Amino acid sequence: MGPERQVPEPVIRVSGLRYRYAGAGSEWILENLDLEVRPGEYVLICGSSGSGKSTLCRTLNGLIPHFFGGRMEGRVSVAGLDTREHPVGELFAHVGLVFQNAESQLFNSTVESELAFGLESLGLSPDQIEERVVRAAEIVDITQLLHRQPHQLSGGEQRLVTIAAVLALRPEVLVLDEPYASLDPANVARVRDALSETHRRGTAVVLTEHRLENAVTDAERMVVLYRGRVALEGTPRDVLAEDVTGLGLNPPAVVSTAKALNLPYLPLTVEGLVSAAEGRQLPADLLPDRPARDATTDEALISVQDVDFSFGDRPILREVSLTLGAGECLALVGANGSGKTTLVKHFNGLHRPDRGHVSVLGSDTRRRSVSELARHVGLVLQNVNNQFFKLQVREEIEVGARALGRYDKAWLKDLTAWFRLGPFLERTPYQLSEGEKKRVAFAAVLAPRPEVLVLDEPTTGQDWPFRRALERLLGDLLARGLSVVLVTHDLDFAEQRADRWVLLAGGRVLATGAPGDVMRQTDAMERANLRPTQSFQIRHALGKSRSASADA
Amino acid sequence: MLERSERLLDPRTCLIVTVSYAALIVASHQLTWLLAELVILWLVIVAVGEGGQYLRWLRLVAAMAASWFAISWLAFDIGTAVTAGLRLVALTSVFFVFFRTTAPEDLGNALVKTGLPYEVAFVFSTSLQFVPVLSRKARNILDAQRSRGIPLEPGLSALRHYPALITPLLIQAFQLGDELAAAMESRGFGRPGRTFRRHYRMRAIDWAVVVLAVGVASLLITWPAI
Repeated sequence: MGPERQVPEPVIRVSGLRYRYAGAGSEWILENLDLEVRPGEYVLICGSSGSGKSTLCRTLNGLIPHFFGGRMEGRVSVAGLDTREHPVGELFAHVGLVFQNAESQLFNSTVESELAFGLESLGLSPDQIEERVVRAAEIVDITQLLHRQPHQLSGGEQRLVTIAAVLALRPEVLVLDEPYASLDPANVARVRDALSETHRRGTAVVLTEHRLENAVTDAERMVVLYRGRVALEGTPRDVLAEDVTGLGLNPPAVVSTAKALNLPYLPLTVEGLVSAAEGRQLPADLLPDRPARDATTDEALISVQDVDFSFGDRPILREVSLTLGAGECLALVGANGSGKTTLVKHFNGLHRPDRGHVSVLGSDTRRRSVSELARHVGLVLQNVNNQFFKLQVREEIEVGARALGRYDKAWLKDLTAWFRLGPFLERTPYQLSEGEKKRVAFAAVLAPRPEVLVLDEPTTGQDWPFRRALERLLGDLLARGLSVVLVTHDLDFAEQRADRWVLLAGGRVLATGAPGDVMRQTDAMERANLRPTQSFQIRHALGKSRSASADA
Repeated sequence: MLERSERLLDPRTCLIVTVSYAALIVASHQLTWLLAELVILWLVIVAVGEGGQYLRWLRLVAAMAASWFAISWLAFDIGTAVTAGLRLVALTSVFFVFFRTTAPEDLGNALVKTGLPYEVAFVFSTSLQFVPVLSRKARNILDAQRSRGIPLEPGLSALRHYPALITPLLIQAFQLGDELAAAMESRGFGRPGRTFRRHYRMRAIDWAVVVLAVGVASLLITWPAI
């Protein structure tokens, strides 16, 4: 923006904000936070878990202090209205807030009613409501969904509906709390397109996210929160020029590569990196390609042969075959709805194949109960809150092992030390952070000493420090001889950790092999609606992929 | 443009017809009457194109009706048991038709027009929307617990382990309720001056159907041969 032009008044102004939730002993979540958002700006707010991102979002539409209570100091104003003096019912027309969990925001019987709800609250006439519903649906491209039931939509579609429901109100600012969490790459792309279109039409967009690769190329300004304060602020390029790893963020691979190559200009895309690198070569130790693991001598712990499986008349798996070797880390990768979770539920007998065979340690799962199979295959499903029901972490870890008759005090003591659970043993699981809960869930599933650990989307909604810790933990488990199956659409994590990928789409196996080998199969990746990781693209573009050299 | 198809009948009319028919089913003690009422319902279900959905739903009700039949047979006799089982199927079927043809929020909004407080109507319609969500959560919890060896397969032994299902389900239901309340607040729930994009009014045909349904049901219920 040229200096001669007048800078517009901020549409959001936060000054000296401090906040803590109600409840004895609660800590200050936000500490002297200052922030301004100008009309039509696209601002990315990032930070690790617990940095205060979600809490900040709640202050922007007045839910804090009016709905959540607690103690708030400082001032937040939206479109010139002090949020302390104006209720949420007044502020919602100026600032639309889209929450993290799409499911709990959809409370009408059709998408059309969902979009109309806020407009009815505003007291608009039926004609005005109809016009706005149609426009909002067009902007986010969900016109074809208007007569569907929200709870029957896919995760990506639900997310788009929550955005449209808020956009219909025509707010000056759209605030989104981690809108990409739990979405696969194709759905992330749809949501990004919708947000870019919204921004292009003049609405300010404020988005929180801790995975930077997608968000930094869309935003004009980036704000890094750390322990409730603004630690860094500026254009994404300026902020990423600093060392953000100490703030719990993982810079995109293009940024790390550009820094390692000492490029004078910091690119944010692979294309930008290739152009800035001007033929420079990657150092051998940077972004190493994971070599294929020789699994020919491995004993097969799990074997799946020609499995078909349907829910009613809807086929989910078709002619699926794979093996898991002892000590192997296998990743089942694919978009949402590709059949990954359904497949791993066959490993412990939660599902039985309609056709074909699944055997665990040489025994057909049709002839074994879930309890018997749980002794050998520990499965942690995506939402670990589904398994907590005891008052103390200690009981939670022990209960499965006792039920299976595999209680071993010495092993549980080892697990407790290994997962660093000592300080939490007497606490209730629900009081722990999401990362701590995951550790408790892993320990509980490992308590009966299974040979195979299956983790369903373990990185969803988790920040970089957790992902790093999980990588180390899986390394330890594999070193102890356990076999691991990762179910994920997080290809970065799968590339870092897995020896081998099985690529699924539409319930079929499209490709199997080392991560690099699978990502090189362009047709299969496109059919699976996945894009290769940024690291792979850089290796490929700069011609340093080992496997590519081997192929050549 | 959005589809703005006018409903054939007002949701309140549908509710009154449903309640009248349910009262008739409750009052019917003859097997032939119950069978006739059930056949009429089946014809309606086929006519509104819900046959496939009804058969899937009937599989769930069948277990409940069979238990009810067994208990009645043990306590009374086979004739009473058959009537009791059929009555349960007929009663649930009439509400199946109602909820498949009337959106809960349409009914809620129509009742608001009649004077029911909006908040009450909204709680009613929203709680119905979340039944499938909670049932999906319950299935996920069952899978998670069985995966670590807690025996929750149907049977008596599962009773001892039911806290493993109920506790996480209750906690998640409360969390869902909190999140839902924040989301509703953020879209102006409870703000004075709410309008409704659909018009709800009782037309002549609604009044005619109401009079006919209530009249016929009252007549048949008071008829000794039923």
